[in-house]
Amino acid sequence: MVTVALDIKPEHTYQWIDAATPTHPSLIDTAHMTDELFGFVNIPMAVWIDETGTIVRPAEGASVERSPLRDMEIPEGLPDRLDRMFREVKKIPDDAESYRAAIVDWVANGAESRFALSPEEVVAQSQPRGDDEARAAACFELGGHLLTHAPTAEEGHEAAVPWWREAHRLHPANWTYKRQAWTLVTTLEGATENDLMQGPNDVYVGNWLDDVVAAGGGEAYTVVARL
Amino acid sequence: MILLSLDHVDPAAFADRTGWDAKPQGMCRGEVCVPAPGAVRDDGFLDVTTAAQRLGMPIVHDEAHGVWAVGPATATGRALSTATAADPELITRDGNPFRLSSLHGRKVLLVAWSSY
Repeated sequence: MVTVALDIKPEHTYQWIDAATPTHPSLIDTAHMTDELFGFVNIPMAVWIDETGTIVRPAEGASVERSPLRDMEIPEGLPDRLDRMFREVKKIPDDAESYRAAIVDWVANGAESRFALSPEEVVAQSQPRGDDEARAAACFELGGHLLTHAPTAEEGHEAAVPWWREAHRLHPANWTYKRQAWTLVTTLEGATENDLMQGPNDVYVGNWLDDVVAAGGGEAYTVVARL
Repeated sequence: MILLSLDHVDPAAFADRTGWDAKPQGMCRGEVCVPAPGAVRDDGFLDVTTAAQRLGMPIVHDEAHGVWAVGPATATGRALSTATAADPELITRDGNPFRLSSLHGRKVLLVAWSSY
């Protein structure tokens, strides 16, 4: 297994990697290159690559352990927005048992596994990419470059925002483009963890809850593996 | 791919970042080749505008900062043009470069996550 964090600020990943004490390669993609090169549009997603460097399953939702959030009882009396977020999170498809079993089958049977796809199937089942999605990738990368190469953090962010807004407009189904941008404006100064609520803000049009609802709700939030 | 100029784009650097190699038969990635006459200039640099146009790659430009970004290919209408895995240079927790090709000969489950 290899993990890759889609995080423009690598320091944001360190506490999680260090806590996990991984024995596998634990990588960081500060430019979201793997979004465009493999077709990631959300997390967690995964691709399967065989011994020859050939992809045998394209990017798809990759839950290997069902999130306890799916089955939680939503406490009474939560603020409305948090309550609605939990309700959407509970709807996110999460068949970890089947996905994990498929991985085990592939590890045991390789190309003979029914879950290992042909190169033609891999390409055909990879994420859609037209002009808008490709342009969104360019806009997001350009924004990220400006963010990280400006003389000051403020100048960098100011330069990045218009490009990231355009990336969001062009490819609304890419949640990593949106969540990466939102969290940088909704995380409070000095916070030790990134904000996960990513609520309404005065920088971007969208926010997590409203965008999820607009996209069809939690049921449509992940790329379900076609096992 | 980020570019600070369109005039002197090294074909090897373009291939390293995008996976698309300039070959006599065209721009190639894995077993897929797209004819791209004129993509390599006489001086050896890539005519990135021609190559991008042939591959359906958008180029966006921030004039104020003098930066261009080349987006991914749209030749197949899908995120993948080929099942040959890309091999970008990523970094480890300690900032060291790492490529997936170093794991050839082993199965790889590449899992994307984030801190947000």
